[in-house]
Amino acid sequence: MKSAVMRISSLISRSGQYLLAIVLIASITAIFFGLQDMLDTTLIALLYLIPLGLITAYWGLGPGITGALITFLTLNYFFIPPYYTLAVHRPTDVVILVIFLVVAVVISQLVGRMQASLIAATAREREATQLYELSIALTGLHSEYAIAQILAKQVQEVSQGEYVEVNITGTESLSFHLPEIKLPARAPELIAPIQAARGVHGEILLWKSTPVIASGEKRLLETFASQGALALERARLSQAESRARVLEESDHLKSILLSSVSHELRTPLSTIKAAASSLRGNEVSWNSPARVELVAAIDDEADHLNMLVGNLLDMSRIESGALKPKREWNILSEIVGSVLARMRHSADEHKLEIDIPETLPFVPVDYVQMEQVFTNLVSNSLKYAPSNTLIRIRANMEGDTVHVQVSNQGPHVPPEHLERIFDKFYRITAADRVTGTGLGLSICKGIIEAHGGRIWAENIPDGLAFNFILPLTWDGAHPPQLPMDTEIE
Amino acid sequence: MNNAPQILVIDDEPQIQRAIRTILTEKGFGVTTASHGEEGLTLAAANEPDIVILDLGLPDMDGVEVCARLREWTQCPIIILSVRDSERDKVAALDKGADDYLTKPFGIEELLARVRVALRHSTNRQGAQNKVIKAGALTIDLVWHIVKRGEDEIKLTGTEYKLLAYLAANHGRVLTHQNILIQVWGPADADHTEYLRVYMRQLRKKLEIDPERPQYILTEPGIGYRFISDG
Repeated sequence: MKSAVMRISSLISRSGQYLLAIVLIASITAIFFGLQDMLDTTLIALLYLIPLGLITAYWGLGPGITGALITFLTLNYFFIPPYYTLAVHRPTDVVILVIFLVVAVVISQLVGRMQASLIAATAREREATQLYELSIALTGLHSEYAIAQILAKQVQEVSQGEYVEVNITGTESLSFHLPEIKLPARAPELIAPIQAARGVHGEILLWKSTPVIASGEKRLLETFASQGALALERARLSQAESRARVLEESDHLKSILLSSVSHELRTPLSTIKAAASSLRGNEVSWNSPARVELVAAIDDEADHLNMLVGNLLDMSRIESGALKPKREWNILSEIVGSVLARMRHSADEHKLEIDIPETLPFVPVDYVQMEQVFTNLVSNSLKYAPSNTLIRIRANMEGDTVHVQVSNQGPHVPPEHLERIFDKFYRITAADRVTGTGLGLSICKGIIEAHGGRIWAENIPDGLAFNFILPLTWDGAHPPQLPMDTEIE
Repeated sequence: MNNAPQILVIDDEPQIQRAIRTILTEKGFGVTTASHGEEGLTLAAANEPDIVILDLGLPDMDGVEVCARLREWTQCPIIILSVRDSERDKVAALDKGADDYLTKPFGIEELLARVRVALRHSTNRQGAQNKVIKAGALTIDLVWHIVKRGEDEIKLTGTEYKLLAYLAANHGRVLTHQNILIQVWGPADADHTEYLRVYMRQLRKKLEIDPERPQYILTEPGIGYRFISDG
């Protein structure tokens, strides 16, 4: 339908051009006819060449040649005696007519050819501009989807296509089409593969309303496709490069970790080795108190090693995102209680105070992971706070969250370090002063954040406090209320 | 030595095998070792050991499966060995019929204590169960449903008593949350850990001297509870 209308309208405009050419020649002829007495026949013939040139220049070769033939006839009819007949008597007039016809046709041809090459040049320029715009639009794109989008948009604009679809294959195939409605059921009129040196990356499909596709259009689409291929390769290379950079960084971190870890692991190992070998070598008598001490050292250091390995595992789990809390409705004081019961021996030089209200609702947390948080915070306090000082664990409900504070009477941390103490391997003091992995607090941070909470440290008047906030809701659900049973047997 | 309890150790690490064998032999147990699940199952069928010590990470099959296959024909106690952070596997093994677990690395006293508890339970299975359980100052009479601290009777609600009685009857053993919930509340409430938490808190307040640091009912983090008795 649409194409038929277009064809008719183009037919009308073409015949209009012929009509205009005839009208122009008719009016010029009228003017010349009026001025006939002042003008020589030869001059009239020459003057006729001007409108002929214009006609060809503006409306093309067809109207030009037609104009030339009509002019030939009018010249003969009106201006060459005998007037008002097409007969010619004088031989000179025959010569004039023949020369006029030849010159008119040649001029029309020349101007027409010039015109055609001008149109071609304009088309080439437009093509070049479109390509330039495409390559500008594609520069700096790293996402394959964005490339497909730009490609489809530009093809759509340039080709005036009905539908355009860009398919990209690779590790993740994707497809984008314009306009964003259902694609037509028929096969596309044109398919251009997106091909580059490394192989085919996809294809551009084009549906056109006019079935005829010029070779230039096809060539342009292929050029677009190859531009798209280049952009895709560029994007893939840059992705590969950034992956390589990430790997390199993690490699660097790993070597820091390894050097720190091997130092930390060797210390207890040396103790164990020394104690075990001296026991084995019978250098220590069976009943001496030294023996008991050596055995105790082996036991303690083995526990220490076990803790180190556990911390490392936790850290790697946090970093790989594998730390998924297994939430349950828990009672915070039970968690704290079991941590303190386990740490009783190491905490006998400090006073511990727990202040958790009975009315505190259930908290949706992973029991084991929260134990780990309290263990790390308390053991950090034990390490830095002087003996016979107070370590206090407090919890309060604040709106939809619970605020927990573990405070000690240890030294202040310089304000600029308060945030960084949760970083891996970060120590304010020299590493050899206190044993540990430098991972405890960052594990706490990882666990609290995996629970959707927040952790921070602050200096309080008489020491240091670790605070964390945990949401009391679990997937939008509030802590359950339980009916108490009061029957007594 | 034929009367000595026989222990089958299924663990693929030779060092662990060596350590356990040395210590248990020293303590007068008969020890057989297997390094694969299939081998362990064959040995268990042939020797009918009194206790099986089973590592969860075996090269040929899952320890949980070994546990399930053993339970198809024998009630002998199974003690699970596993590394830290495998709570899910431990719970699965305990729910499949294992009696107890130990986390590697473990102290040898711990291992011996678990072995003793396991042996006592296997004798209890054959003979009469203890009807009165003693733990420190606590006395729990499972026949008359009476709980006393010293001479003073402790008043418990029906659910509290059911909970305590189930734990006490299985004293020394780890009971998983699910296991307790199903036994005390019924299968419909198997996932309501919060019930258990609340009643456990109430129970501890009534039984324990310091409820924040319990000594009778111990929490097994991420797994369940264990009642500690004198026996």
